[in-house]
Amino acid sequence: MEDFEEESVSGSESEGNDSVMSDGELQEAFAKGLLKPGLNIPLEARKKAVNNVEGLKQCLADFKKDLAWVERLDLTSRPLPDIVAKADGKLTTLDSGEIQAEDDFQREMYFYRQAQAAVLEALPRLKKFNISTKRPEDYFAEMAKTDHHMQKARGITKLMAKQASMEKSEKAKQLRELRKYGKKVQTDVLQKRQKDKKAMMTAVKKYQKGMTDKLDFMDGDQEKGKKGASGAAGPNAAKKKRGPNAKRQYKDQRFGFGGKKRGSKWNTKESHDDMSGFRSKAAHGKSGKNFGKGGKQGASKRPGKNARKKMKNRS
Amino acid sequence: MAAFKRKRGSGSGAGKQAKKVKFAENATGKQTAKPGQESEKEHNIPAPVSKGKWKNKERVLVFSSRGINFRTRHLMQDLRTMMPHTKADTKMDRKDKLFVVNEVCEIKNCNKCIFFEAKKKQDLYMWISNVPHGPSAKFLVQNVHTLAELKMTGNCLKGSRPLLSFDPTFEKEPHYALLKELFIQTFSTPQYHPKSQPFVDHILTFTIADNRIWFRNYQIIEEDGSLVEIGPRFVLNLIKIFQGSFGGATLYENPRYQSPNMHRRMIRLATAARLKEKQQVKELQKMKKSEPKVKEKEDPTQDVFVTPAEEKPSDIQLVAPEPKPIKKKKNKEFKRQRKLKQKRF
Repeated sequence: MEDFEEESVSGSESEGNDSVMSDGELQEAFAKGLLKPGLNIPLEARKKAVNNVEGLKQCLADFKKDLAWVERLDLTSRPLPDIVAKADGKLTTLDSGEIQAEDDFQREMYFYRQAQAAVLEALPRLKKFNISTKRPEDYFAEMAKTDHHMQKARGITKLMAKQASMEKSEKAKQLRELRKYGKKVQTDVLQKRQKDKKAMMTAVKKYQKGMTDKLDFMDGDQEKGKKGASGAAGPNAAKKKRGPNAKRQYKDQRFGFGGKKRGSKWNTKESHDDMSGFRSKAAHGKSGKNFGKGGKQGASKRPGKNARKKMKNRS
Repeated sequence: MAAFKRKRGSGSGAGKQAKKVKFAENATGKQTAKPGQESEKEHNIPAPVSKGKWKNKERVLVFSSRGINFRTRHLMQDLRTMMPHTKADTKMDRKDKLFVVNEVCEIKNCNKCIFFEAKKKQDLYMWISNVPHGPSAKFLVQNVHTLAELKMTGNCLKGSRPLLSFDPTFEKEPHYALLKELFIQTFSTPQYHPKSQPFVDHILTFTIADNRIWFRNYQIIEEDGSLVEIGPRFVLNLIKIFQGSFGGATLYENPRYQSPNMHRRMIRLATAARLKEKQQVKELQKMKKSEPKVKEKEDPTQDVFVTPAEEKPSDIQLVAPEPKPIKKKKNKEFKRQRKLKQKRF
């Protein structure tokens, strides 16, 4: 392996780089462990960095402004001791030069503690000058970050946005429901109108054909409303009882449900016991065309001869 | 939103600007407090800024060159928000030499300058300078985080005066001492500046770690020292300190500073070197393989210590071995058919 490493090193040099050391010296250096394996890139000698200490001090002296502390508000402070780390027993005190810049958390905590130490030192001094760090609650002034930004940082706007969207969806739902209901009502109204129209037309036709001589349908809805309100129960109940027409009933009886069975018994026990065709008033002879005092007919009855004579003489 | 102009010499009760509110709960002014409490509060409220005389006339000009990206622009805006004693200017053309900046500052009547320079749209340099004759310093800015980042939840009054906190290391070296003075004069808001607020509610920290200067901005919440970071934050890598403003003799040069170009170059060279090494190793292996193999001389003494191996006992099998379990032959046709079927689908 040693041979191989040297070959690679010498190979790079033979490519044209001017090496400071000869091969033999390189071998010795490698044997001692000064050279690392692999390609070694020659580093250029660094220029000496300028550090004009005297100049710096002079400049500082010229440039320094002697201001009261109140104007500058500057502090030099070492960070407060880290309580957490002490509790863990990890470290005692760190100088700033020993902060590991790579360890983010440790670094940020170091800055934080430095700031804390500075604040604790500065507060009593500020009190002497009557400068407060606490802002009274009713002191309103422009802030570096807007309210909207602060709310975003705290996630309040997200919550509010969520609430708003929920409300919107609720409203949309309600609107849809309302529209459905409205549509339903509309269709009902239209149907009713069509029904009424049809009824009207049939009534008119009936009158035209002479089936009815009453002009009830011309009165319109007013009378119907009144009548309907008062006598709704009676006629309704009667109508329900009537059911299909008499003609219809007769036809059903004869031909409905497979028709009348020929040769079926007709003076059976059931037919004998059936009292549906019995009308007591008719049976006892208490109804008829001219039964009773002959009320209306009496009014249109022609008076007798003597009565007529009397009437004639009177008039 | 522009702040209302404060009336000069007005009493403390009337001298408040009713503008943006910090918390929604405080929106309704608590004017209905008891008279005793109110008088106590009035004692705590400091006199408005206009009552004091503004003596320390520091003005800082914050501007940049062309070619900056959004982050730098926001950082500049944040600095101007934090420091009420700043002024802005338009971007400077890169064709102009640096000493033109001095003239710009003179026109604007500023005596300090923070100038951001962006190179290759990647590297950001910051100059801080005391303009007429004083020293100036050039830094490489890294790890920029602006006010707008949501992780930093602190907030402070716009234009309130900051506390400045420095590392003890700043006093050990002369160049750091000079930088400290420069920072103090640039970043501290003058007392009784007309745009400043009379409270001190945030603190700027400058710490030295890893040969760089780390800048942080914290809000002071409680008197016991609890802090929240406001932002912005950045890291300054010192390059050079000059005696004059934007020029002049070099007073200090940072020996550990490596320009970003060099840094990128080193990375590239390292990867290239690694690749080259791998290639060379491969080539050598090839060469070794293709070399004619050297035949060694016959060594007559090789057979001296040869011992024949022991004879194994010959095992003659008289009994037939057990028949192996017969494996059912797989009907390959079915498999073929199955595959065809699959293909059809």
